[in-house]
Amino acid sequence: MPNGTHTVELQVPIENIWNFVSDMNNWAPLVPGYIEHEILSDKQSTWKFKGDLGFMKKTVKLQIDIQEWLEPSKVTFDLKGLSDNFTGGGYFEAVKISDTATRMTGHLDITAGGMMGAMINTILKNFVPETAEQLTVAIAGKINEIEGVTV
Amino acid sequence: MPAKRPATWDREVDVIVLGTGGAAFVSAVLAADQGAEVLMLEKTHQVGGTTAFSGGVPWIPLNRYMKEAGIEDDRESAITFIKRLTQGKEPDPKFIDLFVDTGHVMIDYLHENTPLRFATPKGYSEYYGHLPEALKNGTRSLDPEPFDLNQVGEWGPLVRQNPVFPPLTLAEGGAVGGIDFTKIAERMENNIVTMGRSLIGSLLKAALDRGIDIELNTPGKELVLDEEGKVIGVVAEYNEEKIFIGARKGVVLASGGFEWNQELIKTFLKGHVTHPMSPPGNEGDGLIMAMEAGAALGNMTEAWYYPTMQDPTFEYEDHVMNQTGGGRMGPNSIIVNKHGNRFAHEGTTYNDLPRSFFEYDPVALEYPNEAPNWMIFDQQLKDSQMIITMMPGEEAPEWVDQADSLRELAEKIGVNADGLEASVARWNEHVENGVDPDFHRGTTHFENILGGGGNAEANLGKIEKGPFYAIPVHLGALGTNGGPRINEKGEVISLRGQVIDGLYAAGNAAMGILGHVYTSAGGTIGPAMTMGYIVGKEVGTKESREIKEAEALAL
Ligand SMILES: Cc1cc2nc3c(=O)[nH]c(=O)nc-3n(C[C@H](O)[C@H](O)[C@H](O)COP(=O)(O)OP(=O)(O)OC[C@H]3O[C@@H](n4cnc5c(N)ncnc54)[C@H](O)[C@@H]3O)c2cc1C
Repeated sequence: MPNGTHTVELQVPIENIWNFVSDMNNWAPLVPGYIEHEILSDKQSTWKFKGDLGFMKKTVKLQIDIQEWLEPSKVTFDLKGLSDNFTGGGYFEAVKISDTATRMTGHLDITAGGMMGAMINTILKNFVPETAEQLTVAIAGKINEIEGVTV
Repeated sequence: MPAKRPATWDREVDVIVLGTGGAAFVSAVLAADQGAEVLMLEKTHQVGGTTAFSGGVPWIPLNRYMKEAGIEDDRESAITFIKRLTQGKEPDPKFIDLFVDTGHVMIDYLHENTPLRFATPKGYSEYYGHLPEALKNGTRSLDPEPFDLNQVGEWGPLVRQNPVFPPLTLAEGGAVGGIDFTKIAERMENNIVTMGRSLIGSLLKAALDRGIDIELNTPGKELVLDEEGKVIGVVAEYNEEKIFIGARKGVVLASGGFEWNQELIKTFLKGHVTHPMSPPGNEGDGLIMAMEAGAALGNMTEAWYYPTMQDPTFEYEDHVMNQTGGGRMGPNSIIVNKHGNRFAHEGTTYNDLPRSFFEYDPVALEYPNEAPNWMIFDQQLKDSQMIITMMPGEEAPEWVDQADSLRELAEKIGVNADGLEASVARWNEHVENGVDPDFHRGTTHFENILGGGGNAEANLGKIEKGPFYAIPVHLGALGTNGGPRINEKGEVISLRGQVIDGLYAAGNAAMGILGHVYTSAGGTIGPAMTMGYIVGKEVGTKESREIKEAEALAL
């Protein structure tokens, strides 16, 4: 099961992080290869993005269903491919270190199904952790930018 | 204009090879084995060109692997077979003999002197197996054996990769019992490659072992000619800087075809190839350089055609990838033009079928089959075959046009609905009768190559179970195969019939030696490697010339 977790520390209070992260529209464009997303309800959204696997690029459509919404520290979600055969999930977690510092973690797992699953999962083995890292780092960078934190 | 002798050379070697495909590597290795100092220049950021991207299969009569497998072959049959296909339209019949006599020697040489190994693909046969002149038992095609890419160290990831080719051999890809996806995953984990990557990986290893220098991102831009018109070097480009490289023995154009150059395509080809299938990079640079040096041209109206399909969600190097597709052999499919009419046997070889796309109607004054044409199929085919990237049993993706009736489907895709309905009704009648008197589906070997040849059961099936689907079929090419005219040594010939001293060409950068003919699997790489072998030996043993710089000459 290809998956990846990435953690960063921010000199930003947890509430401010939550404010940013809790609105999908804030960070959607930071998803690597983002094309568009549509919020269908509080819990459901669809996404389209172009995954860059190095030796090819693939546009995929997927649906995200929020499973858990624990303000201000955790969101978990399930995902499933609408254009291709894969499923997975992930979470975003913020842990307060102090009043002004927070540890932020992003996790993603994606597993391809169907006849070609075994082959595709080998390709996703690097792609998924890289994407988890890139997204977490990009969100952290954006929050720092908004908060005026220089690193 | 070709460049003039520079004030100073940035570098001097014996032989410069432009390109890193099959023709390039074989010529570079052979030239090095004659003692020449060889430099390979590659335009793109990766090694291997179309060859690495390809099935990597060469077609070679009388090869050693056939003999080992107990497959009988003889020179005369091979020549007769090729001539049956070329119909006298090859640029020069001498090359047919040359190819048949040299191809297997080249394979022996590479077997004995490099890590390159092949096998005769089990269960495989010849594309034109239904012709009386064809080899009946086995095949002349060769399947590269799996290669451990770790052997080329940091070069490994730089070897071009076709994203839709799994690391299976030709034999394994068509294996009885289906594809083993666990084996694929295991090979990917261990960096074991097959097909074109194996061919190029092995030749790359041979080149590195010989100390051949390979520069990526360094296209050859112009030839350098001396005062007598001899080719004495190349102006290349790296990081937008010009580099002058002198070649004491010669320059080999092995830079592929011109399938990515629309201007050259429109100028030379009969059909307008809109969907090249090779990696971008083959833009006819070698052809342009040869023309500047005064070369005569040969076989210019030809290409290795392919009826190409696309999954628009799948990109390779910023282009939607042009893929081989699938499904056109049937049983439950036909291909129609914009009038909704069938116009050819849909399951003929990929190099043959597209030739019907550029037919001209002298009454209607139009090209009725100009691409895109449409593959029309039904749920039965959808349920039983992989088509482009669509797997049986999975829902058809958004990008595939589908409808519950043929009329609705025709309207969706802009094809004449009456025409389509009539064509499908007629097709279904043919299926009922077990023969296709219109275009003879089910009679050629290629359309059911893994099942012993075409027949009514395998290739004729009704289109009757909705939903109905349509996929556009474009005019594509694996490469072009016209270029500078060469002699039997691979030397480029001028418009006046003289050898252009120091200029050689091989593979798709040169005149196709077998004309328009794709003999069977490996029909392009076989001749490309064979001419690479001849050229490498020739240029490698050529006497070194004084290629003085202008400054030195002025002294
Ligand atoms: C998907 C696919 C599968 C195929 N399978 C087979 C098969 O199994 N058997 C078969 O016979 N044929 C096959 N073909 C066709 C075959 O791959 C090509 O015809 C053949 O590889 C051409 O070899 P080449 O050495 O002439 O050129 P290429 O392999 O195309 O190499 C040319 C190289 O030159 C480089 N170049 C271009 N311009 C310059 C420049 N100015 N300076 C320096 N470098 C330059 C290019 O970037 C490229 O790397 C296939 C093609 C495709 C697309």
